[in-house]
Amino acid sequence: MTDMQQPSLRVAHLVKQYANADKPVLNDISFEVPHGKVFVIVGPSGSGKSTLLRTIAGLEPIQGGTISLNGEVIETGRPGTESAGRSKRSSALRTRVGMVFQSYDLFPNKTVLGNITLAPTLVQKRDKTEVEKEAVALLERVGLVDRKDSWPHELSGGQRQRVAICRALILHPEVLLFDEVTAALDPEMVREVLDVMLELADQGQTMLIVTHEMQFARAIADQVILLEDGGIVEQSDDAERFFTHPRTERARQFLRTFEFDRHRASGDAIGQ
Amino acid sequence: MNGAEILLQPGVFPRLLQGLWVTVWIAGVSVALSVPVGLIVGWLMTMRNPVIRLLTRVYLDFIRIMPQLALLFIAFYGFARAWNWNLDATGACVFVFVLWGGAELGDLVRGALESISNAQYESAYVLGLGPWQTFTRVILPQALRRLLPASVNLATRIVKTTSLAVLLGVVEVIKVGQQIIDANRFQYPTGTLWIYGVIFFMYFIVCWPLSIVARRLEKRWSHD
Repeated sequence: MTDMQQPSLRVAHLVKQYANADKPVLNDISFEVPHGKVFVIVGPSGSGKSTLLRTIAGLEPIQGGTISLNGEVIETGRPGTESAGRSKRSSALRTRVGMVFQSYDLFPNKTVLGNITLAPTLVQKRDKTEVEKEAVALLERVGLVDRKDSWPHELSGGQRQRVAICRALILHPEVLLFDEVTAALDPEMVREVLDVMLELADQGQTMLIVTHEMQFARAIADQVILLEDGGIVEQSDDAERFFTHPRTERARQFLRTFEFDRHRASGDAIGQ
Repeated sequence: MNGAEILLQPGVFPRLLQGLWVTVWIAGVSVALSVPVGLIVGWLMTMRNPVIRLLTRVYLDFIRIMPQLALLFIAFYGFARAWNWNLDATGACVFVFVLWGGAELGDLVRGALESISNAQYESAYVLGLGPWQTFTRVILPQALRRLLPASVNLATRIVKTTSLAVLLGVVEVIKVGQQIIDANRFQYPTGTLWIYGVIFFMYFIVCWPLSIVARRLEKRWSHD
């Protein structure tokens, strides 16, 4: 079904401009996420990382460039949409891009299973028993099958995030977007969510991740971009090299801020 | 003679129950009609159109500032006479209570709808749900949960406020009580306390279950 010659996700010359802003939030962003690869976006706060994910998910219209999925253009930039709410993307296209948010945004009026099965039965019109079977299998994978009839408020933040990942996965998205999914979690719950993401990476799920967890980014990333002020500062197809030997001075400086944090937290000597 | 015996007089209890029925009827019809009015008013209040916002705001504030009794007098002695409406006292009561209940419920509906976080709309959007699917499957069920406890309390207030109908001459439970007391003033001079005691008990029986339901719902849904 998917053409392996084409990159899974392709963003070309993307421009995001809000009304009443003198310069664009994202300016001429281009990158490709190959099939089965994990693409990580890092950068300081306010660099436009989250906005970039939101444009790819269709939550924000774009004013220039294109977004393509497996060679098919799903979004074209149109000037004049600066103050519009969301893009006009169709429901069917939206299910092809999954997204997990920072806030625990499960539907509180549905059980864990109800959260996961809502969209496939309602939007994709899939058979209910088949969908439930798959939902249980997904919950098994994230270690929450015993919580399938629980309500979201009965779960911890980390458990909710894992359910949110299942809810996105059941639609079989071609790309899965993660927007700082561990930023609002207690430290001891970060690990369980990141482990699920590492497992997905091993299974070949194409992912685009925005994160502040540099060690995690280094562990999971195939490719990296550093974003600042709405532009790409450094792009690397070799994530390991980016984290050990960044090409630009700005990237070195950015990565150093995290090393300093780590030094203070653990007391370990750093940098060899 | 013991004042309590007034309650055993033939016809006293059935008449009180008839009066209670009038009270419950006015309250029940008013609450039932307030629900659709409140849902529509609440929905209008969340609209961006400034004219609609202003109109609903004025409506809500007007109803809140005016004492219910003044509204009842305006409806019954004012509007009905001025424009020759064929509005009896009971009709005037229902009219005023629906205006009042609709405004208050509308404000509750508005608050409940606005309290649903944007993240809920966004998750539903990303999952491919359309606007109507999002509203009926995600937003409305949550809004109703947040809305129910407060609306049950509102219903209790409407039940109690029906006692003002006496002043328009509606023969509801309090008026019936007064009539019984007046008729037996010489035979049972101390009967007043007993009659009003029974009426108190009747209001209690109607409102108490509502309070319990409200408290239960509040507890059950406090986590959302």
